Amino acid sequence: MQQVLDPKSIPAGCPMHNAGQNFHPFEHEGMYDFFAEIRADVPVFYSPEIDYWVVTRREDVIAVLRDHDRFSATVATQPVVPWPPEMLQSMIDRGFTNESVQVACDPPRHDRIRTHVQGFLNPKKLLSYDGAVRELVKGYVAQMKGKDEIDLVDALTYELPAKTAFLLLGVTDIDPRRIKQWTELRVKLMHGHPTREEQFAAADDLLDFWNFSCDLVEQRKKVPGDDYPSWLLASRGGDDTRLTENEIKSLVFASLLAAHETTSNASANLLLELLRRPEDWKALVDDPKLIPNAVEEGLRYVSSVVAWRRLAKEDVEIGGVTLPAGSKIILSLASAGRDEATFENGETFDIRRKNARSHVAFGNGLHFCMGAPIARMQMRMMVEELTAAFPNMQLIEDDPVEIVGVLTFRGPTRLPVRLNP
Amino acid sequence: MESQNIKFQFVSADGEARDVEGQIGETVMEVAYATGIKGIAAECGGSMSCGTCHVFLDKASFERIEAPSESELDMLDIVSSDRRPTSRLSCQIKLTPEFVDAEVHIPESQY
Repeated sequence: MQQVLDPKSIPAGCPMHNAGQNFHPFEHEGMYDFFAEIRADVPVFYSPEIDYWVVTRREDVIAVLRDHDRFSATVATQPVVPWPPEMLQSMIDRGFTNESVQVACDPPRHDRIRTHVQGFLNPKKLLSYDGAVRELVKGYVAQMKGKDEIDLVDALTYELPAKTAFLLLGVTDIDPRRIKQWTELRVKLMHGHPTREEQFAAADDLLDFWNFSCDLVEQRKKVPGDDYPSWLLASRGGDDTRLTENEIKSLVFASLLAAHETTSNASANLLLELLRRPEDWKALVDDPKLIPNAVEEGLRYVSSVVAWRRLAKEDVEIGGVTLPAGSKIILSLASAGRDEATFENGETFDIRRKNARSHVAFGNGLHFCMGAPIARMQMRMMVEELTAAFPNMQLIEDDPVEIVGVLTFRGPTRLPVRLNP
Repeated sequence: MESQNIKFQFVSADGEARDVEGQIGETVMEVAYATGIKGIAAECGGSMSCGTCHVFLDKASFERIEAPSESELDMLDIVSSDRRPTSRLSCQIKLTPEFVDAEVHIPESQY
């Protein structure tokens, strides 16, 4: 076994050291070029800016994701900038009892909760929303008709996934934009680098978001429906050893973020890449059968989840480097998606790529995204309805598209297009 | 109890057979992953939420081993390659002595 590596001992000038110096984890501009340059030589490097080890190759990313015995998921949604203790205490005093569930917990807790979650969030049940989601997409697209220019994020990709999440949760009484704003705040608190002032300023809103989730569960206790919280309550059967009410509230709180944030970004990422290549847009207009694979290629080429976190529970070897127990690890899903070892000409966007679906945008292993079937469905239907309604749609090239980022997520904030040029 | 290796066979979509072995209690999917068998994606690592470790068993082995659970049958409804009477999710088949000499056929596609 190699000697455990101390980040301070990596000599200046070696590729691993340089990678750590040149990596800017919160900046998405240039991130893909950075990884393309280093991936062949540097399978793993230390980022002093965030005190994380960064894993660059698909094979290593998958090996870590599948090894839940040695790599813990408990850091997955931990604030990158820790919350001030007095802020956390004040939140707890006011009833913020959110606890780590699924995405950020390990077996056996993970597996116990999962047996309940899976009864509702399984592919068959999710695919049964096919007709309802199609109606939602058609509704948004219908509202665009008659306009010349539009921002696709504002008009479609921002709200639609939240409305789909509402279908699963049985939510009818809140503006999706309120949920989106709460979500953005929460994402920044977990995965961004907020200032202390920003953290305190966000606390009240975060508490409102938590209370909304709790109220939802309380309502379902009184009047159950055919929805996710009602399912969890029934599956719990009043037995805390199976599932507690607070765990259900935490699961609902989690899904009010996870069920739409990543799909909003993934759809906008996909539409941006398609519209940057008018020949691809036309190919999908002419042959909609190509759309499912184009969706996979979008997920591969620009994943909305660019990085995901793990914690080494013991000394581990990754890419020939031994990292000490307690090392915090970032798996670059962005880099893995373009790894030439799996994807020939990985830097090329190719809607006909045969192995596009070998991407890791939804993770791999025990924590594989349970919403993947409905995320894919929404992305496919958005492209289907848009190509059918606006076969000549064009990106407004002179209008800059901003890519905003936190450590983990990526997506354009605007996508201005001409609908009928 | 003495650990016992179970020998069985994977057969690829184009007919190429490969003998493998695994320990009692391991799943067929885990053996595929450990031995580098291609064509079983098993994206969700055995937690029954992806349907990408679909296989067909030979009839005799299918009948010899424990029947699939209701949730596995539900997942088999949504697999990519056409479902057959002996379809299983390889992540749900735990190796037992009854599985010796089973033929595990891998479908054309998991997506």
